[in-house]
Amino acid sequence: MTDQIREQLSALLDGELPKDEMGLLVRRLEKDATLRRTFGTYALIGETLRAPGGRIARTDFAARVGAAIDAAEGIAPAAQAAVAGSDIRPQAGQGAPASGATRGRRVAFWQRPMVRTALAASAAVVAVVLFRPGTTPVVAELEPQPASAVALVNSSPAPAQSQRLASYMVAHSQYSTPLVRRNVLTSLLAADPGITRVSYEMGDAP
Amino acid sequence: MQPMPNFPPPDESMKSREPGDDDGGLSAGTEQSDLELVRRAQRNERGAFDLLVLKYQHKVVKLVARLLRDPTEAEDVAQEAFVKAYRALGSFRGDSAFYTWLYRIAVNTARNTIASRQRRPLDYEAELSESEQNNVAARLKHDDTPEASALSEEIRVTVNEAIEQLPEDLRTAIVLREVEGLSYEEIAEAMDCPVGTVRSRIFRAREAIDRALQPLLD
Repeated sequence: MTDQIREQLSALLDGELPKDEMGLLVRRLEKDATLRRTFGTYALIGETLRAPGGRIARTDFAARVGAAIDAAEGIAPAAQAAVAGSDIRPQAGQGAPASGATRGRRVAFWQRPMVRTALAASAAVVAVVLFRPGTTPVVAELEPQPASAVALVNSSPAPAQSQRLASYMVAHSQYSTPLVRRNVLTSLLAADPGITRVSYEMGDAP
Repeated sequence: MQPMPNFPPPDESMKSREPGDDDGGLSAGTEQSDLELVRRAQRNERGAFDLLVLKYQHKVVKLVARLLRDPTEAEDVAQEAFVKAYRALGSFRGDSAFYTWLYRIAVNTARNTIASRQRRPLDYEAELSESEQNNVAARLKHDDTPEASALSEEIRVTVNEAIEQLPEDLRTAIVLREVEGLSYEEIAEAMDCPVGTVRSRIFRAREAIDRALQPLLD
């Protein structure tokens, strides 16, 4: 970092940097942590001279703000992707900044379970409709499979299919509400007594 | 929403600004510079917003710490205020100075924190009761932890010592700028030298103080 750039920073802090010099400086700052630190210290000097005393921001404060903004920005696209069904699991690296109870973190934890719950409830309703006895055959495709694996489902599900459905419910039970879980399992039990054994095993599970 | 008691809106203090007022040196040039940074940030230049955070971080943390009973929470609340500001940046049209706008966001964020602590339903438009207003006044006198006070005092002493050791021309330039809030042109006139020389002197003064501060900040 040259003296010339630092002098530009100093002038920028005072509102005395020509506009045409600002663009390059901003771009440099995005890539240069030392430059950001210097600017922060210049600001601290002025603050100390004008209003000594009182609490000051820690040296990593601006970095934490940046991380919180990144976290908040990253949430919306992730939530949209989850709604689209691309991935209902939490995104890796979406955590909030290292410290501080940020709004971004609160939104993240508030949004994800809601999205997942809604998806799980929708999947459960679809599953009940698909496997309800006495309906016309429909194509069941609970998860991506080779074309040969897609099967016609009769009005009375085969034991293997019932067990698969029950297993699916167990695997996704954490994403649904107790009421939805109970309703779906009750429907399954009523539809096929053969599923009872699996359900009890599920109930015993921790 | 009514203005916070005991805390005049910054607009009014800025309109009647006198040299030495605690307004962050918000000269017309500074306001224009901030506005340019905001415009760049609105065009997704994150570095521009980073500069605004770095510029006002101490001011906002200090402000929030004065309003909260627990000063250790000040940085979290200040951080939240900056995030809110970033997310609302699209609505900033430059009708007021950027810091005025940021100040309001910070005060409202602190008020909401105080209100939520008192187990009230979170209402972003809630007004503070009379007793809460009195509490705010009391908090102005108890805004620091011993550690924060010690560091702040060390920084104050170091900055003052470093300024005392500066050559006369550098010391005069930095004091006229930071304490008296003069523009480079006004300082040039007062010191009878070119504006470029003022810019260089202020920079060199900051560099010297920066070097003295580094052991404390690292």
